[in-house]
Amino acid sequence: MAFLTPLAALLGALAIPIVLLYLLRLRRHEAEVSSTYLWRQIVQDREANAPWQRLRRSLLLFLQLLILALLVLALMRPFVETPTITTGRIALLLDASASMNATDVTPSRFAAARQEALALVDALSAQDSMTVIRVAAVPEVLASATSDRNLLREAILSARPSSGPADWSAALTLAAGGATGVEHFSVVLISDGGLPPDLPAIPGEFRYVPIGQSAENVGLTALAPRARAGEPPQVFVEMTNFGSQTAEVILSLELDGVLDRAERFRIAGGSVQEIVYTDLPGSFSTLSAALQPASGSPVPDYLAVDDRAWAVFTPPGAGRILLMTPGNLYLRQALASLPGVAAFQGQTAAGLPTGQTFDLYILDGWLPEDGVLPPGDLLIVNPPGDTALFRVLGRSLETGNPRVRRDDPRTRYVSFDNVSVLDFNVLDGVDWAEPLITVDGGPLLLAGTVDGRQVAILTFDLHRSDLPLQIAWPILLANLMQWYTPARTAGTAESLRVGETLALNPPFEADTLRITDPDGATTTLRVGEDALIYTGMTQPGLYTVETYARGELIRREPFAVNLFDRVEGLIRPAESLRIGASEVTEAAREEIGQREFWPLLALAALALLTLEWWLYQRRMRLPSPAEVWARSRAKG
Amino acid sequence: MAESTLFDEKTLRKLEQLALVASQVRAGAIKGERRSTKRGTSIEFADYRNYTRGDDLRRVDWNIFARLERPFIKLLEEEEDLAVHLLLDASASMDWPRDPGAPSAAHKFTFARRLLAGLGYIALVSGDRLSVRALGGPAPQQWGPGRGRGRILEVLGAVEEFRTAGETALSASLRAYALRGGRPGLCIVISDLFSPDGYADGLTALLGRGHEVALIHVLSPDEVNPPLAGDLRLVDVETASGQDVSVDDSMRDLYRRRLVAWRESIQVYCAARGVHYVPVETSVPWEEVILYQLRRLGVVR
Repeated sequence: MAFLTPLAALLGALAIPIVLLYLLRLRRHEAEVSSTYLWRQIVQDREANAPWQRLRRSLLLFLQLLILALLVLALMRPFVETPTITTGRIALLLDASASMNATDVTPSRFAAARQEALALVDALSAQDSMTVIRVAAVPEVLASATSDRNLLREAILSARPSSGPADWSAALTLAAGGATGVEHFSVVLISDGGLPPDLPAIPGEFRYVPIGQSAENVGLTALAPRARAGEPPQVFVEMTNFGSQTAEVILSLELDGVLDRAERFRIAGGSVQEIVYTDLPGSFSTLSAALQPASGSPVPDYLAVDDRAWAVFTPPGAGRILLMTPGNLYLRQALASLPGVAAFQGQTAAGLPTGQTFDLYILDGWLPEDGVLPPGDLLIVNPPGDTALFRVLGRSLETGNPRVRRDDPRTRYVSFDNVSVLDFNVLDGVDWAEPLITVDGGPLLLAGTVDGRQVAILTFDLHRSDLPLQIAWPILLANLMQWYTPARTAGTAESLRVGETLALNPPFEADTLRITDPDGATTTLRVGEDALIYTGMTQPGLYTVETYARGELIRREPFAVNLFDRVEGLIRPAESLRIGASEVTEAAREEIGQREFWPLLALAALALLTLEWWLYQRRMRLPSPAEVWARSRAKG
Repeated sequence: MAESTLFDEKTLRKLEQLALVASQVRAGAIKGERRSTKRGTSIEFADYRNYTRGDDLRRVDWNIFARLERPFIKLLEEEEDLAVHLLLDASASMDWPRDPGAPSAAHKFTFARRLLAGLGYIALVSGDRLSVRALGGPAPQQWGPGRGRGRILEVLGAVEEFRTAGETALSASLRAYALRGGRPGLCIVISDLFSPDGYADGLTALLGRGHEVALIHVLSPDEVNPPLAGDLRLVDVETASGQDVSVDDSMRDLYRRRLVAWRESIQVYCAARGVHYVPVETSVPWEEVILYQLRRLGVVR
């Protein structure tokens, strides 16, 4: 045992005033008695067996001195040396990745890791300092280069495991920041492995505290619904048994929260089971899959976080476009340059292809012979005749003075000032549509929704204008395609990963975005004020992004966040880690740490203080006169 | 007398009750135990003496009265009048407890004087020769010797005047009384025995003189269970000497044990010498001491 602040021993000199006070204190109260005859005898008796009695008499003094001794000892901060993993300047990397949620060690791997970290803190000597870094998707410094054990303990106890992957590279870089100008720098990794193999080498020594025992885990590694126009939706599910033994699991599938099916699978150790369901009902928007160990399964499933997966199903959108034209190079080229669309060229002579549906039909100077418009969205260019949606009144040459609706998203940034149009068809019966570009003789572009489909009509022949040669043409076409297939705010219908950040693409008119996570917590982003990046995807589940314009909800989309991480699913604890060029194996407790125990001393002092108070009270208690008389009467 | 606090109405009534039993209750246990050197035994006639007021009329010799028309009392051998000496310790320690909260009947000196009066009453009613003396005190305080039930009020008056003061060397006082104090008889000593020179020599001297001795040891309850605690300097009211004591529970226990041992040592001493030892606490009514405790010991009968 040694002391950190031995100078505090000088406080032991306080014993002198205590003894002095004790000696001075004995100004006895005088009390008359009828005779001191017996008392004198008792005092003589007591002095006959003196040493013990004298000690008893000064028991309070003794206790007070003992309390002082304990307090002084506590202030001297004694410590005992304990073996520990490392000393000096320490960076503690606490693995908070999803695999640390595994319950193969009770209560969980992360709790065990916290215990290891606390043990390390306990053995921290006064000269040592420690930085605690929680390694999750975004590494986080919980306590920065401090020797304050309480701070470190609080930091470690406050740490929670995440549900996502860990960014070890960033964590090591963060840790290396503390290494500059330090002689003895070491990095302690408390982890179950799962580090990428290509970590950069950083200075300092590495210590590895492995956590975990078992590798048994079955997880969902993919869940992907697929929609193709004209076909029923399909779902692709992939399950992986990361363990070494054959596991039996029950896969259940829920569509919009309603159980659709449950199926039992046997998956051999280390293998992948893939299923494709093609017989799903046509309309649903969200999909979730859950795995649970079958009741008779011999192998437990230690990691729960990868046993559920979510997906958002997008019904077929304007992905497939059929172009019916006698020959229009401008349209074909413009369509080819648009991203995310598949354009097909139809034969005007053969009519509409049968047995296939398309998301958007572009009818350029051509109409079906029977006059029946195909189902789906329509872009009609230079209609040659009447349809159910309009009638052609005749051609007009009054193309001067074009006016463009600037406030409409479909004609935003479209400039018609330099565009010349020779003539156009004047249409009738188009009350359902809004005129977007108008000249003196009537509208050049109409658009609207009728019978549940979006229809736009360009009333002039592209070949008889110079629009396709102007910059306005691709802009107009892109705006129209945007209108047919609105872009998702969340950018993608694909599943997102836990820990990723999501860049949001709100529509032009949106001013507020509100994102709700699976727990119901909401994040509000203001368009134009906040960076439209959402970083709250800390757990798997279904999130919802709502888009508001002027206080009104204009769009509401779910998006799914999943773990889908083979590294995290593989919960087998690693025996060694590779960092840079070096191999790090389990650390032995080779160095000497210092374990302080002054709180125990302070506690003992408090207990003694209580005892001393109790003794004092007992000694000072007077039996009341009534008690005396009652006692003698009972005797008499 | 009616205003007296010592012999209030209640106490007087108790005295009268004692008078009723006085024909049976007689002071002295000497008869048959101690042979008279002067006279023979049995019911034989010994002497006549003059009738004095208060003598039992049944003992008047009516034959003589018929002849001489003057009353004489016939003294028989066994009826030799007994000398009863009542010695009361009047040291300052008897003036206890001084706490005004304590019942006045428990005051040691009050208790002792009432006891004394009761015993004196019995002695006078029995026709014994009574001497009452306070040992110590501010001035010589005594009464008697005297005889006859008519003098009871005198005795009571004298006893009421007794006062405590100062320190009494009990042994020395008893020795002095043994040397000087009249004819041997029954000698009852009432004291708390808190005396610097002890009691042993005095008792031995009394016994040596031929007295039959009874020792009534009076203590008040707060002397038995002292209501003290803390670091104290105890001051003796008699000697004014101090004693530093830290009193706690264990110390009080020790005191009680010490007191018991002290009483036992007195008991042993007295038993060895044929002295009747009566330890009394003042919480007991004084007449009970006479009627039960002294009777049981044969001091009165």
